[in-house]
Amino acid sequence: MKKSLSKWFTGMMIGTLLLTTAGCGGGAAPAANSNSQGESAKLGVVAYMSGGGAAYGQSQKEGLDLAKDEINAQGKIKIDLVYEDSRGNNTDAINAVNKLINKDNVVGLIGPTLSGEMFAAGPIANQSGVPIMGTSTTAEGVTDIGEFVFRNALPESSAVPQAVKKAVEKYNLKKVAVMYSSNNDWAVSGYKTMEKALQDNGVEIIATETFADKDTDFSAQLTKIASLKPDAVMVSSLYQEAALVLKKAREIGITVPFVGTNGFNSPELIKIAGQAAEGAIVASPWYPGKENEKIKKFVADYKAKYNKTPDQFAAQSYDALHIYAAALEKSGSTTDRQKLRDSLATIKDFEGVTGKFAFDDKRNPLMDATVLIVKDGQFTELK
Amino acid sequence: MDVILNQYYLQIAIFVLLNAILGVSIYLTLATGQLSLGNAGFMSIGAYTCAILTVKAGLPIYLGIPIGGIAASFISIIIGFPALRLTGIYLAIATLGFGEVVRVIVLNLKVTNGALGISGIPTLGAKIGKALSALGFPHGVGGLTAQQTSNLMVLVVLLLCLSFLIFFCTRLNRSRVGRAFAAIKADESAAEAMGINTTYYKLLAFALGALIAGIAGGLSAHLTFFIGPKDFAYNRTVEILTFAVLGGSDLIIGPIVGALLLTLLPELLRSASEYRLMIYGALMVAMMAFRPQGLISEETVRFWKRKLGRGMKQ
Amino acid sequence: MFWQQLVNGLTLGSTYSLVALGYTLIMGVLNIINMAHGEIFMFGAFVGLLLVTYLKVNIFVAMAGAMVACALLGILMEMLALRPLRRRAVSDLAPLISTIGVSIFLENLALKIFGPQSQTFPSGALSGVQIQLGSIQISLVQIIILGISFGLMFVLRFWLSKTRVGKAIRTTAESIDTANLLGINTNKIILLTVALASGLGGIAGVLVGLSINAVEPTMGLSMGLKGLAVLIFGGMGNITGAMVGGLILGIAEVFTVAYGASSYRDAVAFGMIILILFIRPQGLFGSSTRKGGRF
Repeated sequence: MKKSLSKWFTGMMIGTLLLTTAGCGGGAAPAANSNSQGESAKLGVVAYMSGGGAAYGQSQKEGLDLAKDEINAQGKIKIDLVYEDSRGNNTDAINAVNKLINKDNVVGLIGPTLSGEMFAAGPIANQSGVPIMGTSTTAEGVTDIGEFVFRNALPESSAVPQAVKKAVEKYNLKKVAVMYSSNNDWAVSGYKTMEKALQDNGVEIIATETFADKDTDFSAQLTKIASLKPDAVMVSSLYQEAALVLKKAREIGITVPFVGTNGFNSPELIKIAGQAAEGAIVASPWYPGKENEKIKKFVADYKAKYNKTPDQFAAQSYDALHIYAAALEKSGSTTDRQKLRDSLATIKDFEGVTGKFAFDDKRNPLMDATVLIVKDGQFTELK
Repeated sequence: MDVILNQYYLQIAIFVLLNAILGVSIYLTLATGQLSLGNAGFMSIGAYTCAILTVKAGLPIYLGIPIGGIAASFISIIIGFPALRLTGIYLAIATLGFGEVVRVIVLNLKVTNGALGISGIPTLGAKIGKALSALGFPHGVGGLTAQQTSNLMVLVVLLLCLSFLIFFCTRLNRSRVGRAFAAIKADESAAEAMGINTTYYKLLAFALGALIAGIAGGLSAHLTFFIGPKDFAYNRTVEILTFAVLGGSDLIIGPIVGALLLTLLPELLRSASEYRLMIYGALMVAMMAFRPQGLISEETVRFWKRKLGRGMKQ
Repeated sequence: MFWQQLVNGLTLGSTYSLVALGYTLIMGVLNIINMAHGEIFMFGAFVGLLLVTYLKVNIFVAMAGAMVACALLGILMEMLALRPLRRRAVSDLAPLISTIGVSIFLENLALKIFGPQSQTFPSGALSGVQIQLGSIQISLVQIIILGISFGLMFVLRFWLSKTRVGKAIRTTAESIDTANLLGINTNKIILLTVALASGLGGIAGVLVGLSINAVEPTMGLSMGLKGLAVLIFGGMGNITGAMVGGLILGIAEVFTVAYGASSYRDAVAFGMIILILFIRPQGLFGSSTRKGGRF
């Protein structure tokens, strides 16, 4: 018995050694001949593709793949995408970015999905001088990491105040209750912006309640809020919790408008909350129902390929790759990272599906948001 | 040479060493037969203490990291007194609960910045790079880039830490304390009957484990630029546990080998990353069923010594 | 508001009790904590959801289906992850680690099969129906949950104390070796217990999934941890403890939100178990002799 175990152990060790050497051998090859292929530009993508948040990474991948096919079909420039999974984990995001930069020799990076991952992995790209563009990293301070860090995700600080302002004007709000997910960095960031926007508009906050991501029971918070009779409820969270909050709120008879951060802006919200989503308000640069040729084509193509309506994650990734393509074309090189960064920084008047786009001098996007409201199970513009 | 000095490989090597240090931390508590699932919590205390001290109070890193470790072990002693009356699964669950409570507290404190975490933590590499350039090596040493040099230096620092820990633990095993640990692990009541102060030694092992977890936490804060409460949740505890489960916890080399394998394999099998956790889960079940002592036990070492000794003679 | 919050707490607590019952059964007989119970619960929710959505069956049929599926899952777990451990004398930590392995495996398997998005029951599947009692509002599903939990509690108690199989289970719980000597096929009894506990987990999954109307692969972890807290709090292996402990936890959580700070809610469960372990390690209803307090 002992002998067989030891044999098994030996086999295991040899196997591991083989794997290790195989891995190293595989790693050395692309590094050697990376300069000979000058034709297509290699971009790395770091996304949350497995685990609890895989839905977001999946949308991003779909948007990127669609954009890649279009760009390659046009033929002005060829793009290769290398995907790496960050699993929503900082260490993995760092490893993925390091691998893409040093092993795959990518010219630029897209991602990671979460702001926290960007805070961990962004400095690596910045130090190595590789441009990195977040498509969903909306938290405060992301682009302060360094001058190679870009984002085309509209920061909360510009979208949320628009939604708040519109709602305050429209519904004449005097006192509101605020709810947010306190263990989600992005939702907390959204909450802070919301709080400030409310103060700026002279609205009184009569209750602030928190919950956590993946919570399912909101009855205690909502019962408390219902007893205070607010004019509206502001929610900063991802769509799943937002939808459950809406459902519970309508069940216990809270009928006032709900204003949300970006998390509200997903078809899933309506799918989960159903009737309860009626009257939910959100500001977003992405609005699939807009009368615009580009958007119509994108929505139709996306539907044809994946059989669903694109969400904001897909739309912003789609735009991000097109922005990269424009910058690559302008820089005239498919391998020069510095040139790519410089030409990215000069992008302006770019027409994307999320609207007219430019980078400001801090590499944040300058774009307009539309304030949307859910009506008859559809996002429509709030006028 | 270029391949070895590739940033990517250096980074992985750094994480391997960090995880190996975490492996040592769980090994120390397991040395008395206690399973603590609170290592992620202690790591979190160490990481936050250290990051707050270095970022907000401007303390140098070489002071911040040990202070973080000491803070973690201090708290471990406070909760250790009542907790160590518990044994086996009770202790495991109590420490698991402790980790969760720490996470919630971190989420609610102002100084830890809640869920937003602490970003812009100065990196160990950058600090060492700066020190080097102050010494007159602005662009690295011997044809290496500054980044490569600083990463290499980090590697050396971590290697020194780990070597010291291994040295310390092997010395410990041969000392009175180590023998007491082993006696408690073998049979707690018998150990007590022999006049060993079991509470004292269990607490000592617990606090040492927490100290090392705290130091590892401080190191990780300065290696990943950013820490948030999510980094030290249940998943991290399970991850640390798997190092000991795979490698074995009889000998210090066990969890270190476990950490090495479990940090390298996911990188090698990147394309299969969506199956990674499924493989981890299956691995834990299989190890418990077929080799609960882990890959490396005293028997394995004896076997190899004998075998290699025979080979020498021939 | 107080009464409404109390009702909220009771209904939340009844879901915890229902989950904790499964833990308790396995703990009582095998003396192990089944860390995978939360994931089995999640599989139950998915099976129920799929049955209702695609086969358009009645919700009670779906519950039965989920129960059978989860019982099978439990049997598989017992044969692959628990039985091999019993054959060799290993420390009591081995089954804990092994079931942690099962839980990680199942959660990620579910992510692979069902996808990460949360899914909802089709409308008209009982969820969302509200009943008004004076100023207090309670949903129909919650009443059913409360009823089923208490019903199960009494049935289990009766079954364990009066029937032949129940007595065999209790004997096995006292000592597997003695039970073997008495001619009880302990492997069979253990298999039955694990299957029963997992089946209960399946029912709980459907009911809880129905009451929150969102089912997703990671729901098992948080619910599982709460169930675990109840198990320790109420006393390991004690059915009454699981029931009362669940209700207390639910009320404590709701009142933390209602009259304290909502952001500390998640610390309540674990704060409670740390406290109880220090003051009364055997739990509220456990007796101080280790074996006596079961069932």
